[in-house]
Amino acid sequence: MYGEHGHKLVTDAKRIQGLDKLPPYATTTVRAATKEVRDLDRDANSLLAPYNSSSTQSSDGSQMRSSFNPAEDPGTACALLVDHISMRRNKRCLLAYHKTRTDKLEEMCWQGLDVSDLSQASTGASQSGAQNGPSSSLSAEEEQFVHQYSDLLAAYKGQWTDIDLTGSLEPPKDIFIDVRVLKDAGEIQTEYGSITLTKNSQFYVRQGDVERLIQQGYLQKLS
Amino acid sequence: MDADISDILASVSAPPIPKRALDLQALTRAWINERSSPELLPYPTELIERSTQGVKSQIEVIEEMTGAMDPTSNFKLVILQTELERVKFLLRSFLRARIAKIDKHPLHYHSVATSADLGDQPILSRLESQYLVSHQALLSSHYNASFLSLFPTQLQRLDDATGGDSMIDKPDEDTAVFCRVLRDGYVSRPPDDDIELKRGDVWVLRWTTIREKVRSGDVELI
Repeated sequence: MYGEHGHKLVTDAKRIQGLDKLPPYATTTVRAATKEVRDLDRDANSLLAPYNSSSTQSSDGSQMRSSFNPAEDPGTACALLVDHISMRRNKRCLLAYHKTRTDKLEEMCWQGLDVSDLSQASTGASQSGAQNGPSSSLSAEEEQFVHQYSDLLAAYKGQWTDIDLTGSLEPPKDIFIDVRVLKDAGEIQTEYGSITLTKNSQFYVRQGDVERLIQQGYLQKLS
Repeated sequence: MDADISDILASVSAPPIPKRALDLQALTRAWINERSSPELLPYPTELIERSTQGVKSQIEVIEEMTGAMDPTSNFKLVILQTELERVKFLLRSFLRARIAKIDKHPLHYHSVATSADLGDQPILSRLESQYLVSHQALLSSHYNASFLSLFPTQLQRLDDATGGDSMIDKPDEDTAVFCRVLRDGYVSRPPDDDIELKRGDVWVLRWTTIREKVRSGDVELI
């Protein structure tokens, strides 16, 4: 149906906002919406074609606009208006869909998730949805985007080494915290010597030292 | 009048506050302002430079003290580290709040940053504008690769202002903010009466009304 693909993309985008994993990229819908735009454009051009030719014949050199007068032919004018508005609408829907997805991806970059982890994790979640399409739930363009964005982020972060921009946004209360080890993480070096993190053990460590490991899910903070 | 005189007296007789304490106060204020204003505020270049410098030297001090392994200094060390973590948090949260705003309205801030410069107080830091430009380039190349390149040429722009809606989204400048007056003054509110701002007063005002006062530091947001 007319405009249906755009609607589907927007509802998808709305749904994505509430999910913590990224569902597969809607390749077919995006393609269909883009095709609809091109069809509409062709339609609009064919509607305008007779007027265009007459305008070139009238050889009004400076004026390249068509001689189409909306008042003379309200029917065509209406058709043209609907075509144009629908094209714009589809564009907005497509932009909204892609923006939502890239926002989500950026958020993941900020959280320090690894990109390869990320595409695997999301394929795992979407096994049922994906037929024999691409193995990752990101489109090729999106994967490229994620790589470039994490490079950009790393470059920006690199200028603030002392502050660790991707660190916790909770105001710090104590510098030492109790943590429980959820997964073996090997040995870490701290100012107070090295600690071997073995599963199910519990430590009292400096928050700054283990921040990253908490984010990656190796440790759990005990309150 | 009484208030004025006591103000003057206070400024003369009060013991001088150490510069670092002032910086911390300014940083906290900048952080709160940035978090509660709907719009990006000018980047406090010098303040941030001094603060990062402070963080750096404090890290060195702490490293030296841990290196010394003196048990008597342990308590002092804990205090120093706690303070360091807090300053780091302030800076981090401040910068992240700015990045979040830049990401939300990239095209708007791009045009603001390139067209109007506020003298010595640019809106974006050098790093932030680099980030903004490359991020925007990334996004538009992504859109282009994904679908936009297949569009009719007249619809490929991302900053199209024709056809009803402008594609450049702006922050809502008319939103209300809570603020506290630091220095007496007047603001005019075109449809309503002017307001006399008295030190210590708390107001709920539209951002457009109070923006200039916040920028000049006469009023802080809360």
